[in-house]
Amino acid sequence: MAAPTRSPSAAPAAPAAPTTLAPADRRAARRRRMLQPRWILTFAMKAFFSLVIVTLALFPLAWMIISGFKIRTEVVSTPFQFFPEVWEWQNYVQILGDAAFLRTLAITGAGAVVFTAGSIAVNSMAAYAFARLEFAGKRFVWPAVLMTMFIPGMTILLTSFIVVTDLHMLDTLAVLIIPGMAAAAHIFFVRQFYLNIPSSLEEAAVMDGCGRWGVYLRIFLPLSKAPFVVVGITSFMAYWNNFVWPVMTITSPDLYQVQQYLAAFRGERASELGLLMAGSACAALPIIILFLIFQRQIIANIKMAGLK
Amino acid sequence: MAISPPSTRRRMHPSRRQDTSMAYIMLAPVLVLLGIFVIWPAIQAVYLSFFDWSFYTESEFVGWKNFHDVLVDNTFWEAVLRGLQFVLMTVPVSMVLSFLVASLATSVSRRVSTVLKVSIYIPSVISGVIASITFVIIYDYSGGLLNALVNVVGAPNQAWLGDPRWALAAVAVPAVWLGLGISTLIMIAAMLDIPDSLYEAAQLEGANWWQTARFITIPQMKNVLLFLLVTGFVGSIQQFELPLVMTGGGPNGATELPNLFIFNHFRGDAYVGYSIAAALLLFVVLGTISSIIFRIVNSEKLVD
Repeated sequence: MAAPTRSPSAAPAAPAAPTTLAPADRRAARRRRMLQPRWILTFAMKAFFSLVIVTLALFPLAWMIISGFKIRTEVVSTPFQFFPEVWEWQNYVQILGDAAFLRTLAITGAGAVVFTAGSIAVNSMAAYAFARLEFAGKRFVWPAVLMTMFIPGMTILLTSFIVVTDLHMLDTLAVLIIPGMAAAAHIFFVRQFYLNIPSSLEEAAVMDGCGRWGVYLRIFLPLSKAPFVVVGITSFMAYWNNFVWPVMTITSPDLYQVQQYLAAFRGERASELGLLMAGSACAALPIIILFLIFQRQIIANIKMAGLK
Repeated sequence: MAISPPSTRRRMHPSRRQDTSMAYIMLAPVLVLLGIFVIWPAIQAVYLSFFDWSFYTESEFVGWKNFHDVLVDNTFWEAVLRGLQFVLMTVPVSMVLSFLVASLATSVSRRVSTVLKVSIYIPSVISGVIASITFVIIYDYSGGLLNALVNVVGAPNQAWLGDPRWALAAVAVPAVWLGLGISTLIMIAAMLDIPDSLYEAAQLEGANWWQTARFITIPQMKNVLLFLLVTGFVGSIQQFELPLVMTGGGPNGATELPNLFIFNHFRGDAYVGYSIAAALLLFVVLGTISSIIFRIVNSEKLVD
């Protein structure tokens, strides 16, 4: 990275080139530039660093997946081996054939779907009300809702536990799904999106005799795909990756959540490392695939969070 | 602007009068849920912090005693200091790494840049439990990857998680790994917002990469860097899932970060007033910082 970060001529690999030249000239100029040692050096360095970053970022995951292919004694062994001597499918076959693990995956997945749907529904309705409706008390309700965003989980962890105990929700799926469903951050995010929908759309619908609910259902909901994807993925991941709350509230192994299951597995069957790694890989994969499918929307959303 | 003045809105929407009832129907689920599961527990937490409360016996009002106990407890302050140490281990490293990765990602072709962004973000979607399990095996004493690398250099095996000298740093590595994605993406977005003309001028003057970064990129990103610094601080000092799964706070308390300290008290103590008071004290500090960030963010660019 010897050149300035982002000016066009310092980034020859970028498709954008000076606009004043004819295409043929531009290509020729580029070819000339590419022959210069300095350009080659920069290019090589960028390629090298890119490779290093990708490798380092993905290494622990690759390590986990590869370890799943090792027999028990190979995962930690002296002398150390990166790749298994023989690639064994048995850990993956065994863990995916394990009824308890499958039930854990299924029950966590089902809970996550319900949680996600509920989270989108309740938060988007609230977002619409805050973005588009005038109502008595708005001036107090909105800051109060926003404030809940800044209450750290640790501060209310124990009192939340007392509340769900009093409500007889302990050791049910409801205790995992309901308490975290409403989230001020999601409301804030969707509201921000709704504020940018032009009000002329609404007015036209009202002129045509559309009621308030009609405006919400027929105009806002169909336009909400992008924010719903972001809220949905965030909720799904939060539910899937949740650990401390299930550990506190779920005691029957029938209802174990996937992270809880893995942590318990590590505690109880510490010697079966290959199996543990295969299980971890199976638990990580759904989330990674989900991310890869929606990565464009998620990354765009984070850019927005970058103070825009 | 979020809410136009009522007068103009009234002209736009003839049905305005019905809004209040509709608004509350739409808000009801959220208000009920937040009320029961966030606001009420928060009020309860403040209330219980003045009591010697337990699941098993009558609670007793003790005034400021819990707070006093926390403030004079050396183990609490040790946990806070350890938290600050942990912040120093994670936040600067992660800021510098994100900056370098973001600089690289904004200077390569779009396709390479996408690959970089996606790979740096993938760890962020992994759970703390899975990251912990993976790193525990990497740190394994007798056959782990790290000790194999250390042996190549000629050094003897280290008990990374069992040795108080190394344990906190060993927890910091997966913390950085998990958190790098978001700060990098935010930095990339901020870098793309800097006007090209600044870089063109710098190039005419023959500035090198470091000079450009030092005199253009960093000053232009001041707000974003401040934002990331403060959110990084708040997030990092609250980390407790990694040490909980990796070490349980050991060895000898070496990885007992403030939240884990509180959590262990929750689980271990018969009387919870102490841990609630400790959590509230921490909240007051972090809440102040969060509200400052929010004000900065809100005032700068988050215009409705």
